[in-house]
Amino acid sequence: MEKSVTERYPEVLLETRGLTKYFGGLAAVSRLDMHVNRGEIVGIIGPNGAGKTTVFNLITGVLRPSGGKIIFDGEDITGKKPHLAAKIGIGRTFQAAYLFADFTVMENLVASFYLYPKFSFWEAALNTPGYRKKEEYISNQAMEILQLVGLDKVKDELAKNLPHGYQKVLGVARALAVKPKLLLLDEPIAGMTRDEIVFSLGVFEKIQSQGTTILLVEHNMEFMSLCDRVIVLNFGQKIAEGLPEEVRRDEDVIQAYFGSEHAA
Amino acid sequence: MKGIRNLTKPAGFAIFIILLFLIPLIIQKPYYIHIFIITMLYIIVVSSLRTIALSGQVSVAHAAFMGIGAYFSGVVSKELGFSPWLTIPLGGLAAMMVAILVGYPFTRVRAIYFSMVSLFGGIAIVALIRVAQKWTGAAGLAGIPPLDPINIPGLVNITFVGQKVPYYYFTLVLTIVCLLVLYRIEHSRVGMTWKAIAQSHFVASSVGINEAGFRVLALAVGCFFAGIAGASYAHYNLVLAPGTFSFLPSIFLVMYMLVGGRDKFAGPIIGTAILVLVLEFFRGLREYAPLILGAIMLLVVFLMPQGIAGLFDQIRAKYGEVRNRKVPGSVA
Amino acid sequence: MDPELLAQVGVNALMLSSIYILMALGFALMLSVMRVLNFAHAVIYMVGGYACYQLAIVYGLDQWLSLVLAALIMGAFGLFLERFCFRPFFGDVNRTIVMTLALIVILESAVNILVGTQVRALPAFASGVIRSGGVSVSVERVVTFIIAAVLLLALIFFIRKTRIGQQMLAVSQDSIGAVLQGINIYRVSAVATVIACALAAVAGSLMGAIVSLSPYMGDQMLVKAIEIVILAGIGSIGGVLGAGLILGTIDASLPLFISGSATDAIGLGIVITILLFRPQGLFGHEA
Repeated sequence: MEKSVTERYPEVLLETRGLTKYFGGLAAVSRLDMHVNRGEIVGIIGPNGAGKTTVFNLITGVLRPSGGKIIFDGEDITGKKPHLAAKIGIGRTFQAAYLFADFTVMENLVASFYLYPKFSFWEAALNTPGYRKKEEYISNQAMEILQLVGLDKVKDELAKNLPHGYQKVLGVARALAVKPKLLLLDEPIAGMTRDEIVFSLGVFEKIQSQGTTILLVEHNMEFMSLCDRVIVLNFGQKIAEGLPEEVRRDEDVIQAYFGSEHAA
Repeated sequence: MKGIRNLTKPAGFAIFIILLFLIPLIIQKPYYIHIFIITMLYIIVVSSLRTIALSGQVSVAHAAFMGIGAYFSGVVSKELGFSPWLTIPLGGLAAMMVAILVGYPFTRVRAIYFSMVSLFGGIAIVALIRVAQKWTGAAGLAGIPPLDPINIPGLVNITFVGQKVPYYYFTLVLTIVCLLVLYRIEHSRVGMTWKAIAQSHFVASSVGINEAGFRVLALAVGCFFAGIAGASYAHYNLVLAPGTFSFLPSIFLVMYMLVGGRDKFAGPIIGTAILVLVLEFFRGLREYAPLILGAIMLLVVFLMPQGIAGLFDQIRAKYGEVRNRKVPGSVA
Repeated sequence: MDPELLAQVGVNALMLSSIYILMALGFALMLSVMRVLNFAHAVIYMVGGYACYQLAIVYGLDQWLSLVLAALIMGAFGLFLERFCFRPFFGDVNRTIVMTLALIVILESAVNILVGTQVRALPAFASGVIRSGGVSVSVERVVTFIIAAVLLLALIFFIRKTRIGQQMLAVSQDSIGAVLQGINIYRVSAVATVIACALAAVAGSLMGAIVSLSPYMGDQMLVKAIEIVILAGIGSIGGVLGAGLILGTIDASLPLFISGSATDAIGLGIVITILLFRPQGLFGHEA
């Protein structure tokens, strides 16, 4: 008998309770209760403007919540600054494929290995042997990640010159440099070609098999097959949750997608 | 042939440095030595301004930090009798402390708004210097002690009083050291992190970089060197006027950096050297000199997007374009 | 408190605030609509004053007419500025800064050469004194305030009621969104620049009559304009009024008790203190 999702992934890694965010009078996210368990791939889907990216921004501290709590690995991280989110093990990509545009692919990765190993201003300024060893270690790790995501061949290209699909993959590679426990992917396959999508799905499965938990946002319903569980948002509120097949058949979800102008 | 290619750059540098050391033997006129000294001090200041700009912060207050170093060192050495050799580094530290203090709140604003509030910060610093007349003098500070003589019995005995040439060598060595340090920091992970913040503070934060902390660090490093240069200026010029460090000089410092080219380390060096040379060359025309300066600025703005230092790259890119156009229809 | 003194100070405060606001508004417009720190605004102010002088004194035109013409001339110059000096470098911060600095250098020294550093003054736009309730105030200063108030109201009307005005507002709040909505950002920028230059010209001419004209008169004004814009806050155009009034009142009243430079210092001190705790200004939003 197949194990249920909760049996396969019993431990809660990320939890939001009553998460709310107002912009002026408009509630972008409204009393959201959700959780992601260790090892899962969870997808947040919903029409455009449903508040999905806002949830990411709230979790990573780019925005301060108007109300509610965010608990990660047992710790309350509500409102913590973005660079601290990375420190505790949350990595993220950006919908618009933000990158270090003027750096090469390799430099993008190397710059992202900021947290591990730690370095001090003086050892960098004085170029100590210990510092040089750390940089070498980082170069090797960077190459490993680039090989994992298939970007090793273009490592010396400027990031801004890459095709859009590659840029998104680079974003994922960069997020992996943080050695994340939880990886937040914001519309990771939007704008990709068929082949790029197939390749990316393979990469995400590999990442999951290495023990990283993934929470992703998409508004393309086809993508749900990858996820263990799916949460559906509309107008900032959770309207459905469960296995992908269940959600696909849910009345409210169909209404949200085909009833609105942003049908998938 | 690649081996020889790798040698020409350092060899070129070495020759250039040797030439600089020989200048006082070739050029005897004290006035020209003076120009060299002032230019080198400004090269330190503009280079340190560029270091701050690596993190995406264009500070329009940099002359004020030069002034902090100058006045701190000048006043402390004059009133408390400490040796300028001691107070010059202290001047650098003083400028650095102020930068850290004022830097943190200013990390809440970015880009052009940062430049605007920095302009304002510089004005405030100079106003404070003016208000502190009791120490800084009503119309300026005079009677600053020159550098103490270097006296190693049996080896060297150099006095700085009334002599320009020893000051030239002092400034030359100081400039080389400061530039080496700035270069090294820029090419380390510190510099890489600054450049990362400048390109996307979102991405930088997402990988754990503390944007505010690094921005303050950039300010601290940049203002330290501005303070050192300012203090050195104080003990060379022996007189200080607040107007030397007000907002117009700060604006001009930014201009030297941009005209020279913000993207390359050599940019500030080239920009400062050329613009100072131009001003000197046309000094005879008095009122018309600024016009020529303005004309050059327009020239650079319209024709050289990367500044003068970027000219080589610009030409190389254009030339490459022309070469590629010769093969139509081929797949790149 | 002596009512006469109070009236004088009050009128001075209004007059000073008026000129400050005219200056600062133009600067703020260009900053929020075009994201340009137009250092050259100071010289536009100065050249505007000199243009008025040239028309009124050298060519003998009616002074009021000269004022209007000066505003129109500088407005036209603003058109030229936007089209040839700012538009080519839209988005390129480095080159825009060098451009504004080049403008300062060239214009200031050009005026210096043509006119010399001799201080000149425009005759008063309106002479005489108003007496009311046992108190007398200079007509000129009141008139200055009225002119500024009228222009201000016109600007508010323009922003609120015309389409271009609304577009200017949209661009200053969200330039990318505005472009996506189909707003022609170049046209909006041109309008903003023209208004800014015209207002600066009026301010320069008025100041030239009340005080005097010199090729470097813009420098101090620029500092005031920046003080006001910073105090008002990032992206806030309305806040400029409040900030301008505050600073104008300070500069008109404090010199009675303390020296001029101390007054400057206090004005600076207030703004700095606010900056340290709230760098985005009183009414601004986070950048």
